[in-house]
Amino acid sequence: MKNPFDDFRDHPTTEREIPLDSIIQSRNRVMSNIIRGYEMLLEEEVKELVWLVQYNTVIKAYTLAEKAVKEFDYRAEDIEEFCYELDSTDKIPYLITGPAGIYISALCNYAQEEEITLKLSDLKTQINLLGYRLPVGKKVVVEGNLGDFTGIGMEGGELVVEGSAKNYTGAGMKSGRIRIMKNIGLHTGEWMMGGEILVGGRVRGLGKIVDGKVYEDEKLIYPRNYRQSNTYY
Amino acid sequence: MATTPEEIIKRIWARVRMKHLFPELPIPKVSEGKGNVALEMKSKQITINTAFSDKIAQKMDMEDVVEALLDHGISHYTYCPWDFHTHLRLFTEAKRVIKDKELAKRAAGLFMDVVADTYCVKRRKTPLPDLYKHLEGGKVEEVITSLYQKIWGVDLCAKEDEEVVLRLARIPYLDKKQWDKSIQKFTRVIKALLELQEEQDRQEDSQANPMGEHGLDGYTLEEIDRGLRDFANQNVGLKEFKETFEDFKDELKEVGYGMEGGMGRGEGSPLDADLIYYMKLAENYSIPIKKVPMEKRGFLNPHSHSPWEIGRPFQDVDVWTSFGKIMPGITQTWNKIEGSTFGERESVPDCIIIIDSSGSMTNPRKNLSYAVLGAACASDAYLRNDAQVAVYNFSDAPMGGKAILDFTSNRTKIYQILCKYFGGGTALNLNELDPLLETSKKPDIFIITDMKITNLGKVIGYLSTIDNRITAVYIGENTYALRFREAMEGRKNVSFYNVTKKEDIPKIVLGKIREYFRGNL
Repeated sequence: MKNPFDDFRDHPTTEREIPLDSIIQSRNRVMSNIIRGYEMLLEEEVKELVWLVQYNTVIKAYTLAEKAVKEFDYRAEDIEEFCYELDSTDKIPYLITGPAGIYISALCNYAQEEEITLKLSDLKTQINLLGYRLPVGKKVVVEGNLGDFTGIGMEGGELVVEGSAKNYTGAGMKSGRIRIMKNIGLHTGEWMMGGEILVGGRVRGLGKIVDGKVYEDEKLIYPRNYRQSNTYY
Repeated sequence: MATTPEEIIKRIWARVRMKHLFPELPIPKVSEGKGNVALEMKSKQITINTAFSDKIAQKMDMEDVVEALLDHGISHYTYCPWDFHTHLRLFTEAKRVIKDKELAKRAAGLFMDVVADTYCVKRRKTPLPDLYKHLEGGKVEEVITSLYQKIWGVDLCAKEDEEVVLRLARIPYLDKKQWDKSIQKFTRVIKALLELQEEQDRQEDSQANPMGEHGLDGYTLEEIDRGLRDFANQNVGLKEFKETFEDFKDELKEVGYGMEGGMGRGEGSPLDADLIYYMKLAENYSIPIKKVPMEKRGFLNPHSHSPWEIGRPFQDVDVWTSFGKIMPGITQTWNKIEGSTFGERESVPDCIIIIDSSGSMTNPRKNLSYAVLGAACASDAYLRNDAQVAVYNFSDAPMGGKAILDFTSNRTKIYQILCKYFGGGTALNLNELDPLLETSKKPDIFIITDMKITNLGKVIGYLSTIDNRITAVYIGENTYALRFREAMEGRKNVSFYNVTKKEDIPKIVLGKIREYFRGNL
């Protein structure tokens, strides 16, 4: 019996290699490295069972994250994509917002680019701890809202949030600038030792601030005498 | 050498078709259109705008312009979107990111362009890059050309927003499985640009995509129908289906979808998204019906021939023995006599669908109602077998909470009554069933309810007195359903089904009690 497809055997259907192929291959490779690094961090952190934002826990997690991200090259776009991969949860087994935020912060801190823009407005989950230890000379712009502990322990970088942030923003920051376009939660600047927090909208409550400045709608609200720590208004 | 687009098409069409592995498309046409839109595709007919091709032909060879446009159009047909379902899917995903429906349509259109063109450039020998090199457009089109430059590796003299292009270039356009995610990423990146361009377009009243917009014109009504069916079945909820349907409602009307009848005057009935949702979903389920032996009807059967004479009806002409001619003396007509046949012919009786739309039932216009879907599947099954369906939709029937539809084969009318929701108390006015039972010859009864009926005792009593085939479907488990079941269990003409999820519906077999009728005949 004659194979009906024989007539098409000589038909020229050669595929040509286009740059898109290598871009996608490289992107997939980088993404699997990033995911592997995150899984390594999770393997360690899952032993703690309950992840608490404590000084030692955060430092330990960050040390692990630093170690992981130093081992591969990536670009700012990879970080954003990783945030969406975390959000969709079909590739990564689980999203623990604490370690995830620490890991994303490490990725930002060690990225080649000095300025990183993360378009996160379509994320279903809010990322906590983003901007941790952001160093001098780095600027991270986030389109969307962030969760708790945004920009904690900042070390001279600039974090811009084109949305709102929750509680303990800028806690323990040493220097640098956090600019929040909309509103901010309670305990803002808790144990802050320097730097500035500028809020475009409302500040729900200030924490126990050691040093530094907090602005609400361009007005300096710390240091000033009439506002007490943890005042809810 | 051919120089006009028309002549070029005639010359190259066979070669272009072969290049694309012989798509089933008619030979493209040309039109002397105005404006900057290069081509349009209506019901698979590609039409090239000569005003556009003449303009571009000043910068590149006319044959290449025509071939590139054909490659573009055919790639949409053969690869992306391929069908209306994919089109809807891509639009829905884009709309998750960009809430404005027009912008979402535009984003989906651009994504489909990138996918189709990239596929063509990778898999076929095409002058498409040359065309894009000379194409003029707004900011968005310039970014897309820059993207092509980046991902195709061809110099298109484009210099646009590096950051945006870098993000767009990372999307796996040729991975079909990832299209849902990819279009979300794509839309996220170009969202700001689209909003900006929309503003500019509004001010300058300019045309958007020079390669043509992706409306519903490209699809036939059958394709639209199939696309909606697949979309309804693709785990989208009623809300999402309705939202998407509403977004395309005007275009669907324009292409004539859902329009019944032909000539006439007056405004047509509005397209009802809920109705369409249940219709399309029901088409995915096929419920079997057991046929019953019916009496002879005395059909007239062709018996012998006689010559045709002027004045005798044409419908009796036998074309095979008349040599295709209508001429006295030559033309033969059939003489018909009433046939006498032996045995019994099995067929499907009509059906009365009794559906509960009381407050304890799901509102079919808010959430997926298993009762409506089950009843819809049952009505479709009867209609498919040339039987008619009557509907008795009740809530608190004695207080007026009811809708009755006499026997009909009009599917839309049936669905309209099935989708009615009263949301009140639950009681049946049993006397109202009598006229329906008398109209048709022993119709089947299909009752679908959660059985939380205040006069359940009377209902049981009434149904016990009739010997029609009854298919009772109850939604969820409760004591009332148990009571009904226990009371009717002994009766051979009643079959019960419980529906707790969508997948239970195809398990229903309508009029399953065959033995009962055999005994009665």
